[in-house]
Amino acid sequence: MEMSGEYRIPAPIGDVWAALNDVEVLRICIPGCEELEQVSDTEMTAKVALKIGPVKARFKGAVNFENVDAPDGYSIVGEGQGGIAGFAKGGADVQLVEDGNETILTYQAQAQVGGKIAQLGSRLIKSTAAKLADKFFKNFHDELSGAETAV
Amino acid sequence: MTVVSMTVNGKAARADVPDNTLLVEYIREHLRLTGTHVGCDTSQCGACVVHVNGKAVKSCAALAVASEGADVTTIEGLANGEMHPMQTAFKENHGLQCGFCTPGMVMTATDMVARYRESGKTLDEAAIRSELEGNICRCTGYHNIVKAIADGASKMASS
Amino acid sequence: MSEGIGARVLRKEDKRFLIGKGRYTDDIIEQNQAYAAFVRSPHAHAAVKSIDASAAEAMDGVIAVLNGAQLTGDGIGNIICGWGVTSKDGSPMNMGAWSALATDKVRYVGDAVAIVVADSLATARLAAEMVEVDYDVLPVVVNSVDGLSDGAPQLHENAPGNLVFDWELGNEGPTDAALAGAAFTTEMDIVNNRLSPNAMEPRAAIATFNEADDHYTLYTTSQNPHVARLVLSAFYNVAPEHKLRVIAPDVGGGFGSKIYIYPEEIACLWASMKTNRSVKWTSDRTEAFMTDAHGRDHVTHAKIGFDKDHKIVGLKVDTKANLGAYMSLFSSATPTYLYGTLLSGQYNIENIYCNVKAVYTNTVPVDAYRGAGRPEASYVMERMMETAAREMGVDPAELRRKNFVTEFPHQTPVIMAYDSGDFAANQDQAMEAADYAGFEARRAEAASRGKLRGIGFSNYIEACGIAPSAAVGSLGAGVGLWESAEVRVNPVGTIEVLTGSHSHGQGHETTFTQIVAERFGLPTENIQIVHGDTDKVQFGMGTYGSRSGAVGMSAIVKAMDKVEAKVKKIGAHVLEASEDDIIIEDGAVKVKGTDKQMLWHEVGLAAYTAHNIPEGMEPGLKETSFYDPSNFTFPAGCYICEVEVDPETGTTQIVQFVASDDFGTIINPMIVEGQVHGGIAQGIGQALLEGVVYDDSGQLLSASYMDYAMPRAHDLPNYSVHHQSTTCPGNPLGMKGCGEAGAIGSPPAVINAITDAIGNNDLSMPATPAKVWAAIQAAGAKQAAE
Repeated sequence: MEMSGEYRIPAPIGDVWAALNDVEVLRICIPGCEELEQVSDTEMTAKVALKIGPVKARFKGAVNFENVDAPDGYSIVGEGQGGIAGFAKGGADVQLVEDGNETILTYQAQAQVGGKIAQLGSRLIKSTAAKLADKFFKNFHDELSGAETAV
Repeated sequence: MTVVSMTVNGKAARADVPDNTLLVEYIREHLRLTGTHVGCDTSQCGACVVHVNGKAVKSCAALAVASEGADVTTIEGLANGEMHPMQTAFKENHGLQCGFCTPGMVMTATDMVARYRESGKTLDEAAIRSELEGNICRCTGYHNIVKAIADGASKMASS
Repeated sequence: MSEGIGARVLRKEDKRFLIGKGRYTDDIIEQNQAYAAFVRSPHAHAAVKSIDASAAEAMDGVIAVLNGAQLTGDGIGNIICGWGVTSKDGSPMNMGAWSALATDKVRYVGDAVAIVVADSLATARLAAEMVEVDYDVLPVVVNSVDGLSDGAPQLHENAPGNLVFDWELGNEGPTDAALAGAAFTTEMDIVNNRLSPNAMEPRAAIATFNEADDHYTLYTTSQNPHVARLVLSAFYNVAPEHKLRVIAPDVGGGFGSKIYIYPEEIACLWASMKTNRSVKWTSDRTEAFMTDAHGRDHVTHAKIGFDKDHKIVGLKVDTKANLGAYMSLFSSATPTYLYGTLLSGQYNIENIYCNVKAVYTNTVPVDAYRGAGRPEASYVMERMMETAAREMGVDPAELRRKNFVTEFPHQTPVIMAYDSGDFAANQDQAMEAADYAGFEARRAEAASRGKLRGIGFSNYIEACGIAPSAAVGSLGAGVGLWESAEVRVNPVGTIEVLTGSHSHGQGHETTFTQIVAERFGLPTENIQIVHGDTDKVQFGMGTYGSRSGAVGMSAIVKAMDKVEAKVKKIGAHVLEASEDDIIIEDGAVKVKGTDKQMLWHEVGLAAYTAHNIPEGMEPGLKETSFYDPSNFTFPAGCYICEVEVDPETGTTQIVQFVASDDFGTIINPMIVEGQVHGGIAQGIGQALLEGVVYDDSGQLLSASYMDYAMPRAHDLPNYSVHHQSTTCPGNPLGMKGCGEAGAIGSPPAVINAITDAIGNNDLSMPATPAKVWAAIQAAGAKQAAE
């Protein structure tokens, strides 16, 4: 399934780009993220706890940056195994456009799940994934706006 | 592990079971009362229905420890050796084929009849069909189950 | 009250089910029993790079974790399809390798990779989660049309283009010519939706290896334990037949899904030997959705032509059948010899051509499900007839009647030779029961309430009791399709009948008893039916394809013929009369026209004491028959469905469902009606509610009763079931079979009724409110545009 959205962030593009590459910022913004460790410039490992319908699982996996085009955007791609719950894959193409002292962030995200989550929670995946994607970018917006970040 | 005590089919039962033991597991695996069946994992099919303190309960969706002190009746204990009027009605109306959903159907049916009688409502065909929402049968197409429950209700009223 | 043929005898088997004393596989506990759980692929298509079981093996209570390399290393054979279908170019079908536990590749979500054996079920399931499988994920294809397309992901190396076979039946040239010369033609794209059988008892198996004598016992949820033993021995090399006992105890429904021998049975038997423990596995419902063979899944384009008098001149059918990731046991026969051969329907059609391409996809294997091929054929034929009638502006009942086969035997151009039937009589009976004449008034009345009322026909024919063995062998079957029976008269006169048929809801313990009671004039309580155990019954072919009446009961009749002959000899000897004067009635052997008689138990005793039997006669009273029919049987009928559709919501309510069936001789009308009820319910389920859904990545989205819409009591009507029978000339009882008719005949009647109501023939199953609503809008838009 595919989702998209747009946020106006009250910060210059340089700051937004730096934040998009800041593991600590990402950790705070990724919903349910318990651990995020940088392995290289573009690779991280993550632990994320998610609940989709009746299935609650802790996913272990990798988060990578791809198609890096500083400071105009990149793709952030993640893939995690949730044990018997199955697996989740997802990613977002993020574009930044400078607008004076502010930055317009647009994203197109995709998500795919497999195994038990798909079998038992399929009715709920689309709405859950859309909610998670939006929550991430909202958190990111709030983080950079100096607002209180909801986790 | 937790020690659970309950009365099952009129007899005291007591066992030390893992906390996550479902009531249906307790009934089938510990007490070896295998008339109560498991047909799904999502409490949709009703093959596992038993009576807990006189009310129909899906035993796959209840923990054994939650029934501490309860009075549980399974299909084996419904009539104590005889056939309950509802069981007779199922037989006489050919309300069963493979028999797998049957115990849950009968336990749901007797509960349904009792509830309607208590509240003074009429258990007509539409009500029976609506009340069977939580019980799935793949063999009979429900036609004869609905007939059996109506017949069982009148048999229960006159017994 | 008579308990013989035609009597509504209450079922002998009911008591144990009603008091909770049925004995299903999962109810059984073996000594030293361990529990199995399977590690299954979460991916629809992937290479298996490595399996790390160390964490699972280290857990307390885990006995073993076993994988596919070990399984094949021990010489366990691949799972096979038992019916070889030849492509139109003469090449054999392309059967891809299917190991009970995957070795190099997984091809559907749920494909088993390893089996975990542990002291408790909870431990086995936990340990299965701990097994780490490293997958290299591959591209996926889930439907037959995409599977055949250029560049589609390939499932099996030996099946280029994912093509299992490209089969044809009939004559293409003459059919094309007939269609080209037709006065009217109707063309349709028809999808037969994919279904999950959903027997309420999930599959289960308990395998026990006995080291002392190298012997295995398998309790399993099977419709045909002897076929299971044969295949497990001859192809999967689990154990030779004399070292393997297969028992199918009470089985909670099958509908085809329990014919096949699945990976779990093989793995449990093998794991029992490896661990020296009894190994028990019970499927949960989601596992059942993921691994039980699915049914149907056809995509068809069909064209039918009529002359100016509305007589059919030709029918051309092109079907793509999704077989899933591997070929299940009878998967090849279902979309070919059980489908193309029924495309003549109840009609005189000179020219028929059918082409079927069977396709591998990354979905669970597809095989026979209640009706198996015949529902698909009947759906194509009956939707075409109804649509053609509407397009030509003629009454759908009249169009059918004009084209009925009326003389028997009737040879169709697609193999079948119909032996009997009176299709007009069934249609008359159904139309009267449905008050067809009063329909327009009901439609008008419904319209006054803002409802769209519609009526739809379905005149189905099917073929049951597949036979004779030599004929099906020539069409590719790997087995014979006869049935066996042994009739044992005990010294006290009670009778045990051993049958190779298997009852899993059909009531054989009652109906089989009735024919014995009738024959010898005995009370049914003196007769016991024994089935489902390879140690008790020597061989048999099991129960599927509505064969247990026409074939299974015929075998009992043949065995009873032999018993009767011997009883008459003993009677004549003891009563000092001529054999010709001996009659058997009311439980006694009598000399015609005299008061001389032996009671039935006296005959039994005479046979076993052997103090006074004819010279040269062997003692005892036990006879066996292996009965091989001379032809298929052809149940047929007319179903009429009447619906009301709410145009605001698209919700369909079935307000009337009438069935008139020709099943030949009926042994127990109560049981036959029950079979029809259940079949119709499954057909209505297919038409309105059910559908297996895979997403594009091969994930199964309809894997629980929260997502797969099983018909429930409030979804269904009461059924008005009638019979109008002709006797089947092909077997001694004149029976045709009734187990599948309801599921075969009903889907087209339902869809024809809805499309009639909404005025749009373009509607696919399941006709959910959303689809029906959209079809109403489309019809409205079309009308507005015209």
